[in-house]
Amino acid sequence: MKFLNSILIVFTLIFLTFTSCKKDEEQAKPGNVTIEFDHVWGSTEGEFSLNSELTHPMLGEKMTFTTFKYYVSNVRLKAKDGSYYTMPESYFIVDADVSGSNKAVIPNVPAGEYTDVELMFGVDSTRCSSGAQTGALDPAKGLFWSWNSGYIMVKAEGKAPTAADGSFAFHLGGFKGVNKVQTTKSYNFGSTALVVDGDREAEIHMVANPARLWHGAEKLAVKSVNTMPNALAKSMSTNFYDAVRFDHIHN
Amino acid sequence: MMKRIIFLLFFTMIWSYSCQNDQDELDFGLTYPDYFPAPHYQFGKNTLTKEGFELGRSLFFDPILSLDSTISCASCHAQGHAFADHNVALSKGIYDLAGTRNSPSMFNLAWQPIFMWDGGINHIEVMPLAPITNPVEMGQDMNTAIQKLNNNPSYSNRFRKVFGEKPIESQQLFYALAQYMSMLVSADSKYDKYRQGKVELTLDEGDGLQIFRAKCASCHKEPLFTDYSLRNNGLEILNDDLGYGRITLDTTDNHKFKVPSLRNVALTYPYMHDGRFRTLDQVLDHYSNGLVYHTNIDPLLVQNNIIGIPLNNDEKQKLKAFLNTLSDYTFISNPLYSE
Ligand code: HEC
Ligand code: HEC
Repeated sequence: MKFLNSILIVFTLIFLTFTSCKKDEEQAKPGNVTIEFDHVWGSTEGEFSLNSELTHPMLGEKMTFTTFKYYVSNVRLKAKDGSYYTMPESYFIVDADVSGSNKAVIPNVPAGEYTDVELMFGVDSTRCSSGAQTGALDPAKGLFWSWNSGYIMVKAEGKAPTAADGSFAFHLGGFKGVNKVQTTKSYNFGSTALVVDGDREAEIHMVANPARLWHGAEKLAVKSVNTMPNALAKSMSTNFYDAVRFDHIHN
Repeated sequence: MMKRIIFLLFFTMIWSYSCQNDQDELDFGLTYPDYFPAPHYQFGKNTLTKEGFELGRSLFFDPILSLDSTISCASCHAQGHAFADHNVALSKGIYDLAGTRNSPSMFNLAWQPIFMWDGGINHIEVMPLAPITNPVEMGQDMNTAIQKLNNNPSYSNRFRKVFGEKPIESQQLFYALAQYMSMLVSADSKYDKYRQGKVELTLDEGDGLQIFRAKCASCHKEPLFTDYSLRNNGLEILNDDLGYGRITLDTTDNHKFKVPSLRNVALTYPYMHDGRFRTLDQVLDHYSNGLVYHTNIDPLLVQNNIIGIPLNNDEKQKLKAFLNTLSDYTFISNPLYSE
């Protein structure tokens, strides 16, 4: 018994020395990284906001958004050495109606230099099919279909005088098969790396353009409602995602 | 010495206490016969407890989840009818509004991989979202439902006891209801007692079982009496309900519906997704000579270019005798499941 005890003490001591050694080496502290999504309208990148009348450059139709939101998830940062920092539980709703929601904050990113950000637009199929979720994935957020399980990954609603009943509603989702709406994108920061070090600011600025949803889509006079997983949901969301671009970083 | 005794005493206490807990957990769990497959729902992060189950049971019987607090889950899913509706074709929700499909029975849901007649719901935990928010069922916004629960001192206490110190969230509501629903096990019918070697079937029932195995069991698979697949069984098209096709948008899935379990079938009339048949005789007549050809009709129902399952009157009587052995009177009167 005595012998066992002393072995235990020795091991504990060794363990403690090792762990404390490691702490001394890491001087730089982990910090937060913010991914900011700025919304612009059309190829001129004009101002986009809810409840104000916009004209779609391609459709030529007037539209006033009352809702514009989408999911961003599974954020990973690529470090200079090629390794990744993966944010646990990273699910965000970017909602034009909720100020600050366009900033996805990734807390506790290990200090270091990062060259790329990888993220998913939409929600992964696992979380679409593993039962009741919380946080941004809480079905009470109104973005989970009750009749056909899965998340509405992009929701755009509003008024349009040319549409059949004067309004439009696009709920784009679907996580299986050819029409799945979630997609992973990666953006390189170019020559300057994103530096994470404690309280130092680290921001990634992205630009998203909701007009792109109708890039090649039919006029609202023809099609103003789509609220199920299908080919149109796939093409509209793909056009929107593909046009999201990296703008700059703020160190 | 004294110290040692106290120490030992302390240890025995902890040990016996933890044993006690284990015992409770053992006593309270999903139990089922050995000829059942492993359940599909494994609870995951939703730890099954007696208190969680009881909370789910209270919620199931409480109209608080509906907009005007008049309709509970039990309004359309009654234990005496194996949790189907009270023998009506289409259930009524708030303001007497009617839906378009028959309320299915509810049991052995822990084995069920998909829900609804069209299989549109993929998980037992998110199942209640549909009835709670459906405008013709309970018609309530989820946020309002959660707020009503948080404002209710008894519920907020009970939720805290089960899920810890936080305000009630939808996940907790879904977890509690999933605990209750998945504990609804029906496995004590005469058929089960026969499988367990406790009783004999009558001659007719035994013949009926053989006919069933030959002609029905490929879809209504034992021991759960469904294989949970989506198929077209040749019902005449009476409305624009596309069934599974609505979910997949694939026309080859149009008018396919989930194969329902036939356990407790004598108690759950009327039958089919729209409740069109009132009696088992009508169902059997449908299979023997009422099938209507559909491009998506299940190939099992077309033999040698003839659609339907040949059944003479004698076979129908025997099948019916067998189907009656699937009624589980222990289940429909089990106080554990009652309000
Ligand atoms: C107004 C009547 C009504 C109410 C109230 C109601 N249901 Fe239902 N339930 C139905 C109908 C009708 C269906 C079939 C719907 C379909 O297939 O589209 C159904 C289907 C289900 C199913 C799927 C069964 C299967 O085999 O696929 C479950 C589980 C269920 N309900 C649970 C609940 C719970 C839990 C509640 C309360 C939160 C509830 N129901 C409230 C009518 C109701
Ligand atoms: C090819 C697969 C298949 C075979 C074989 C089959 N069924 Fe069915 N059965 C179904 C499907 C699918 C439904 C649901 C159809 C619907 O509602 O649209 C169903 C529904 C039923 C129902 C209604 C249950 C309820 O709760 O509403 C009964 C009863 C039934 N079948 C009995 C039988 C009997 C008895 C046989 C053998 C003579 C049989 N079935 C053979 C697929 C099958």
